[in-house]
Amino acid sequence: MKKTLIVTVDLVIMGLILFFIIQYANTKMHESNKSEIEAFEKMTVSAEQIITNYLEDEQHLCDIWANYINRSAEAGTPMTAEEAISFIRKAKISPIIYGHLISLDDSSKNGISTHPGATDSHNYSVSYRNINLFDNPEEISREDGVVSLTRAYTNPQNGVQSIAFMNYVKVLDEATGELKEALLMRVEPVSVLEDKFVFLKGEYESVEISLINKEGDYLVHGKSLKNSNFFEYYKSYNRLDITDYNKMTEQVTSMSGTMTMLNSKGEECIISYTPLKSMNTWFLLTYIPKKDLDANTVIDWLLLGMVTLGLLGLLVFNYLILRFYNVKLAEAAAAANQANEAKSHFLSTMSHDIRTPMNAILGLNEMVLRESREEETIKYSESIRTAGKTLLGLINDILDFSKIEAGKMDIINVDYSFVSLLNDLVNMVQGKAEDKGLQFNLDVDRNIPVILNGDEIRIKQIITNILSNAVKYTNEGSITFKAGFEKEEDNPESGKLLISVTDTGIGIKPEDMKRLFQAFERIDEKKNRNIEGTGLGMSIAQSFLNMMGSHIEVESEYGKGSTFSFALEQGVRDWKPIGNYEKIFRHSLSEIRKYRERFTAPYARLLVVDDTPVNLSVFESLLKRTKVQIDTALSGDEGISLYRQKHYDVIFLDHMMPDKDGIETLREMKELADTPNKETPVVCLTANAISGMREMYMNAGFDDYITKPIDPDRLETMLLQYIPKGKIAPASEEDEADDFFIPDFIFKLEDLDVNSGLMHCGSRESYMVTLKMYLDSAQKNADEIEKYLKVGDIQNTTIKVHALKSTSRVIGALKLGNLAAQLEKAGEAGDTETLEREIGNLLTQYRELAKELEPLNDIKDDGASDDRPIITEKDMKEAYTALSEFCASFDYDSVVNIVESLERYRFPEDEATRFDALKKAVDNFDYELIPGILSGGEK
Amino acid sequence: MIIKKGELIKKTAVLLSAAILVTGLTACGKGQEKNAEFKPALPTETSCSIRVAGTYSNFESLESEFERFYEYYPNASLNYVYLDNYDNTIVSALLSDEAPDIYVTATWMLDDKKMAPVFENAEVLYDPSLNIDLDCIRKGARWTAENGDVVMLPIFTRSYGMLVNMDIFEKNGLKVPTDYKSLVEVCDKLKTAGYENPIMGANGNTVSGMYYAFSFPLFCDNVLKKPESVAPLNAMDKSAGEMMRPALEKLQDFVKKGYLNPARCSEEIADDYNAVIMRFFEGDVPMMLGSGDMVSGTAKRESKSEAFTANPFKYKFYVVPIDDDGGFFLDAVNLFFSVNKNSKNLDMTNEFIRFLTREKELGNMAAIKRLITPTDDFSLDEVYSSLEGFPEDKSFSYQETGLNDAVNKEFRAAAYKVANGIMTVDEAISAYGSLWE
Repeated sequence: MKKTLIVTVDLVIMGLILFFIIQYANTKMHESNKSEIEAFEKMTVSAEQIITNYLEDEQHLCDIWANYINRSAEAGTPMTAEEAISFIRKAKISPIIYGHLISLDDSSKNGISTHPGATDSHNYSVSYRNINLFDNPEEISREDGVVSLTRAYTNPQNGVQSIAFMNYVKVLDEATGELKEALLMRVEPVSVLEDKFVFLKGEYESVEISLINKEGDYLVHGKSLKNSNFFEYYKSYNRLDITDYNKMTEQVTSMSGTMTMLNSKGEECIISYTPLKSMNTWFLLTYIPKKDLDANTVIDWLLLGMVTLGLLGLLVFNYLILRFYNVKLAEAAAAANQANEAKSHFLSTMSHDIRTPMNAILGLNEMVLRESREEETIKYSESIRTAGKTLLGLINDILDFSKIEAGKMDIINVDYSFVSLLNDLVNMVQGKAEDKGLQFNLDVDRNIPVILNGDEIRIKQIITNILSNAVKYTNEGSITFKAGFEKEEDNPESGKLLISVTDTGIGIKPEDMKRLFQAFERIDEKKNRNIEGTGLGMSIAQSFLNMMGSHIEVESEYGKGSTFSFALEQGVRDWKPIGNYEKIFRHSLSEIRKYRERFTAPYARLLVVDDTPVNLSVFESLLKRTKVQIDTALSGDEGISLYRQKHYDVIFLDHMMPDKDGIETLREMKELADTPNKETPVVCLTANAISGMREMYMNAGFDDYITKPIDPDRLETMLLQYIPKGKIAPASEEDEADDFFIPDFIFKLEDLDVNSGLMHCGSRESYMVTLKMYLDSAQKNADEIEKYLKVGDIQNTTIKVHALKSTSRVIGALKLGNLAAQLEKAGEAGDTETLEREIGNLLTQYRELAKELEPLNDIKDDGASDDRPIITEKDMKEAYTALSEFCASFDYDSVVNIVESLERYRFPEDEATRFDALKKAVDNFDYELIPGILSGGEK
Repeated sequence: MIIKKGELIKKTAVLLSAAILVTGLTACGKGQEKNAEFKPALPTETSCSIRVAGTYSNFESLESEFERFYEYYPNASLNYVYLDNYDNTIVSALLSDEAPDIYVTATWMLDDKKMAPVFENAEVLYDPSLNIDLDCIRKGARWTAENGDVVMLPIFTRSYGMLVNMDIFEKNGLKVPTDYKSLVEVCDKLKTAGYENPIMGANGNTVSGMYYAFSFPLFCDNVLKKPESVAPLNAMDKSAGEMMRPALEKLQDFVKKGYLNPARCSEEIADDYNAVIMRFFEGDVPMMLGSGDMVSGTAKRESKSEAFTANPFKYKFYVVPIDDDGGFFLDAVNLFFSVNKNSKNLDMTNEFIRFLTREKELGNMAAIKRLITPTDDFSLDEVYSSLEGFPEDKSFSYQETGLNDAVNKEFRAAAYKVANGIMTVDEAISAYGSLWE
């Protein structure tokens, strides 16, 4: 997952968490606000109760006054207005309370007050003429306990904003002597009422309490409610249509409730309203800014802020951790890539390097096969060759598996002999089966075409894997290998190869079938822990078949055995049936018991171009018995010159050469018009055995390629293919002994594997010639490598090292060859650092080996003058025994005779010193030393 | 409001107007500070309760200033109180324990002995220590007490003229007339365009009636040009009635030509405030005569007029170009504030007055009330933009004429009777002194 995607997902999750918190906080806030508003509304209702009580109390005091006056009238002793006011003046306690007695009979609305006017201390008359206060006098209650309250008005006596509680009284009209009704007013400053509100505020500091009448006019109002009329004020700052407005006024003047409105600053505020009980004329409004009820939201925002910070911190932390691990992963990936590259490198070099010892084994075995006359030895040797080739195949299996994994496996179809394929398979498996006491049955259809076209190597691998498994997992009974062929009617050039292997082994449980073709899976592991194998075989086999459009089918019964089979389409090159395979197999066994060159071609001519004389020498030696004429060239240019002049039947061209490599040389050759070699096939000589080489050389224009060290059998097969049939003659029946002298010190050189060298050179004589040539060119080569590297010519340094690798391996200097191979790789990869670091070591080893080989120069000279036969070991032992006995019996004459007779023979180098010491002892008459010399020799 | 003034007061007013100007400049006037941002002079955390008593039952423009003042003094609490029977209760209120800190005053109070306590309790506002910028008050709006003290701060002024429906003028390609000749021409063109009576107004004899706005400023101008006529006029000398002739003849001429139709105005306009405004909003009256009070009522009535809501139009206030070289800006203060020098919160009260006495705040109040600001800055209300830069020689206050209220009434009665054909111009002039019934 990309980093940005992770961060985006994190942010989305964060956003969702915050969204949830906000929603939750909002819900909680709304709930809290709602409860706050409810509490506020309750406070309003409580305030209403207190205010109502207060107003009722005040009205009650007014009523007491009125009752007293009215009772006097009822009792027949009515008071005059003056008397009534006088009574009130005495009855009232507070000086700020005024009593007014107003006559409503006339429009003047004059009356008398308990207090004089502010501007005239003698004038107690009061007039309400200019104060619009008694529009509806009939609405003023005459009942006790019913609050009759004026609006807030200006007390005409003192100019103070006041309210008045009213009741009617009957007083005596002094002018008429009759009772008349007058209005009694208990007048109080509004501020007294406002002072009561202070105690109602409770916990709400900003609350403002107002009283309005039904029209919305204020009796009292707080600082924030403007205008003289609440509804007008509401309209000024809150937009609503007439319906909503009427609804609002209706609600405010009829019920308890709460509403939100905007004040003159455009801020939200809460208005809680309730009518004053026992009066339907006044309504209590409590006002508070909404934010004062939303105080708790601060905590929520703080929480939100902290959570946001926390999440951001977490995001940053995660991001950093992610980044840290990404870096680690990148490093690990880089390391894995490096390891993978190393693996690839290892595998590619393995194909090169493992093949070398394998070739040594197979090469030596080849020598055994060629030289041995013993049936048993030949039989064993043949098994070695078969098994060795199989081992090489297995090594290739591992390479193949890697290639399958990497998707780089190619199916390469070639023409192949089905009999040859069967021979290899049977050779490999039959022995193993028989070793386990199993019966190996062959059931090969005799109509199988002799030459098929397909990927021989892969098919062999598939069948080998199946057969190997059958042998491994079968403890008793038999293994039956069946091969058949089916023609395809619609395609005359191909048919289906039918292969099946049936065993009487342990079988496979149905539940294990699925795991059968999985890499590294081993069925019934516990039970089969002693059976070797990587678990790769069936996986590779199935992969190969899938690539070839087929698959393995398995029928198995647990405990009884299994049958593995597949059908594979193959091209047919020669429809000639193979006939009775078992007969052919037995014949082939007898045929290959002794090496014989398969042909002679004295009139055939080859050109071999290689910059390394040793390689040219080996090549010549390998074909010595075929009597083929061989021209050699040490450079591309020299080869081109010969190419221009003479006709050749086949040309072998080394790939890696200094100055002009094989591909360049070939290109120049092909460009030549005037040449007798227009149709001559050109085969590439290469030490690179890794996959893909074949394609590369074919694409470069070569007709074929052969890897070094050269497989003699493959070389002869190739020549049989390319040399015109008319020049091929039967092989010579003449045996040729190879007893060419190889000095002992050669065998003792630690850095030299003589057997490997012999195998590559074909004969002892050829080997000695090759060694000498190696020695002769060593100094020059070492100097050239040094020179190229010194001037920074990495390409030619690499080419020279490549040649050294090749020649060293030919003579059996494997350690030196391997080191040269490493440096060749480094050179090709441009790794000058490794090249410069290790080249000294290489040259040192090279020069040391050359120094060790220097005695060869002497031997050549000695060999030319010393015609004495070499003494046999048996003769020498008998002579030493005789000398020892004659010394013991002090028969020194006989000792002298024996030594003199021994002088007619040439001694091996390691015995020459002893013989010299014997001679010296005899010459000096030191016969007593002879037993010691001999005993040292015996050691 | 009818202003009663004595001779002494008249002279004092005229003389002191100039004196105030000088004093004002010395005391507090620093022209460059006129529009400077208000800087609190007291600790802004000061808390107090200030009560303003007045005659308006509703004083939203003042309450707006309270809010603006709270921005500087958030702990202050200002409250407006309407006093019933203000003329009779303000004195008592000032003597009470709950005396207002600021109270409304009017010019007539200066001449009313009964109201003497109102000014005895008033703070002298030009005291340099108060730092009140009285210099921002327009010349024609300045008033002082008899002793020269500046105890009244003009808050609103009004004038007399006409509301012009700018859309009608624009639609007919007309310009608002600037002199009498162009006024006649415009009226002719409007009649041609189908406006039968281009000028309307309330057919009454009040100061808000159409005749006062149309012809009274011309009468005043004649009087100012002939100061010797003041005494006979005030004395109701019949011969002084001749001073009314030019104004009455122009009025009669307008009626005769059909520019004004008193009968139709009576029929369609029931009163000089609400009805005249609503009729104007019908949208078919090019010019509607009236006072500043009429203009002040327009803002709230726009939304109440279905016709205006459906077809809103642009309108402005202009003085009537009654003279050959233009009209006259008759300046009259509508409302004053005085400060109770016995206020329990005198410092903060003076601070509020200092805050208020600035072109911005007075202009803001006037714009909300849609009355004329007492300053020279008419920019805050486009309706009064025609008064910006009005020629000083054509601006005067009524008090400058020296005429008493009786003269005022006689002229109004004469104009009404002439316009309505009750009297001829000659008859009205002859009847001077007995015209007001």
